[in-house]
Amino acid sequence: MKKILCACGLVVASVALIGMPGCSKKSVQSGGDSQSTVKAADSSKPGAGSLPDTGAQSGGGGLQGLNKNPSEERVGNGTVVAKADSSINAGRQLDELRAEQAASAALRDVLFGYDSWAITEEGRQVLTRDAEWMKSNQGAQVKVEGHCDERGTSAYNLVLGEKRAKAVRNYLVELGVGAKRLSVVSYGKEQPSCNEHTESCYQQNRRGHLVVKAGK
Amino acid sequence: MRQVKWLSLLVCGFLLSAGAVGILESGAADVFLEATRPDFQKISLAVAEIRNVGGPDWLGGRIEEVLKKDVKRSLVFDLVDLPGLGIKAHDLGTGMESGAKAVFKQASENGVAVLVWGNAGLKEAGTDAGKDADVSMEGLVYDSGSDEVIGGKRYVGSPSVLRLMAHRFVDELVFRYTGEPGIARTKIAYVAEHGAARELFVMDYDGHDARQLTADGFLDLMPRWSPDRRFLVFTTYRNRNTQDIDMIELATGKRWTLVSLGGLNITPALSPDGTFLAFASSYEGNSELYLLDTRTKALQRLTVNPSGDLSPSWSPTGRELVFVSDRGGGPQVFLMGSDGSNVRRLTFEGDYNAAPVWSPRGNWIAHVCRTPRKEYKLCLISPDGQKRMQVTTGPGVDDSPSWSPDGRHLVFSSTIDGKSHIYMIDADGKNLERLTFEGTRNSAPSWSPASGG
Repeated sequence: MKKILCACGLVVASVALIGMPGCSKKSVQSGGDSQSTVKAADSSKPGAGSLPDTGAQSGGGGLQGLNKNPSEERVGNGTVVAKADSSINAGRQLDELRAEQAASAALRDVLFGYDSWAITEEGRQVLTRDAEWMKSNQGAQVKVEGHCDERGTSAYNLVLGEKRAKAVRNYLVELGVGAKRLSVVSYGKEQPSCNEHTESCYQQNRRGHLVVKAGK
Repeated sequence: MRQVKWLSLLVCGFLLSAGAVGILESGAADVFLEATRPDFQKISLAVAEIRNVGGPDWLGGRIEEVLKKDVKRSLVFDLVDLPGLGIKAHDLGTGMESGAKAVFKQASENGVAVLVWGNAGLKEAGTDAGKDADVSMEGLVYDSGSDEVIGGKRYVGSPSVLRLMAHRFVDELVFRYTGEPGIARTKIAYVAEHGAARELFVMDYDGHDARQLTADGFLDLMPRWSPDRRFLVFTTYRNRNTQDIDMIELATGKRWTLVSLGGLNITPALSPDGTFLAFASSYEGNSELYLLDTRTKALQRLTVNPSGDLSPSWSPTGRELVFVSDRGGGPQVFLMGSDGSNVRRLTFEGDYNAAPVWSPRGNWIAHVCRTPRKEYKLCLISPDGQKRMQVTTGPGVDDSPSWSPDGRHLVFSSTIDGKSHIYMIDADGKNLERLTFEGTRNSAPSWSPASGG
């Protein structure tokens, strides 16, 4: 037990040495496989109240050392993971997604080159038709989704996807579509339309996908 | 492998790793050694037997199997096989009997530094009908240096914590011999496909006991642990149209929205003391790096340029950040102070370097590198840019490296077997191990800190 306290002290001391502002933790979370109380998840109301402290660290990780005459230690569940509550959202978003897809059948995707967010000549032709559709359907709010193929990192592909979506939006605005009718979102490589590891599949996934927004 | 042991370990280790992982420049011997730890000699350890004392016949064997795998993965110990040394070791009892002492002598003479054995059984089932009887495990440790049984542990718990008992025991061994808490009880958070959605999951570091944490029905991405390992921060899509950065408490599922701005809000990372959240947002136009003070909620912009900046990762001291920027064209790894000062480019090799993560020991930065053959693999670079090595080779897209808290392993996602799964590999490119087998798309692993339960 002495060892753990020492280790905790060391961690606190070293954090203090680093001199990050606001290092005012008074209590140190004790380690161990002790069980926490599991409460019902409330994922419907994010953002309520102030944020909890996330920085407290324990040194020994709840270890108590080897003993010549060990007493019996009860091992609890370790890190308790709350059961996901699937009743609220599961299915709803995907139903809406399908409704959007149905409403967007008249709009065509714009395809991109590897690593590229430049609109090609073929892309310009597609967007010219998409812009005409938008001009004759003035009520429609359109979301431009930027997508990537599976190559590259998840994170950088989100940036690349946004560049593609913005390139599409900017060209539509050039063609006379009101900027306020267009929004952009990047899905990176997270929502591929094709799942094979082939170049033809990669090409289908490098796309700007236009969607008529349903609801808000 | 067997032959190699009897030759010079250092030379052969270097040759093997050079062949396996393709070191990129000379001075590679240093690279190999420091990838784990300078001049660290593994301690030879043998697991004699976890004897069954009541309970199902698989019980002792199951614990022994978990124990041995943990010992191997620790990279602190070299697991030696007693029968391979010609030593028969059964029923060492309390280690006080003459039979046991003879085994100790034999093991010691054959270079075994630590000998571990024990027993496992069921406790008497309580009167509580329907409740499973508790499992008990005892582990004992003989140390040949001091020629004595240095101690042991006795655990009891429900059958569901059987593996955890073995993990805990190995962490005690690592702690005893290194003063470090060990990694056998660490967790890996990741993203898995669930229906057509991506949800957050948490599993043990060896891939067992996966639990679903969110059920948002669309896209939850890029989880990262809080330093106290009670929370995850991650990107979540609200109504499919906007991205927020949320925090979730593992034990309760309680949620907080930390960042709710327009545009991209991705790659969150809490500072080592938990005070600041570094993340990328495009709400002011293009993707830039920001710091959120989680106490005052003050927002500070760190980067200013017209290209994409993303993927911040903190140095262990919290004084510096490594991140990705495509200000030179393709994505490259950059460093800066955590106040946005002193920006300098770190990677110059290749036209695509991304997803950097600073090792907990501070001496390496792991990242995804695109090879001349356009393969996306894992690379290491030292923070001064002087040393580089490629960790993984072959087909498949590797992504999202994350360090083990002991700095000896990386967990990452790869499509090496077709579908995206989670893998573990030693930092020097050895011992590739697949961790997930269920599902079709497991990605974005994040290794928990070591402290806590």
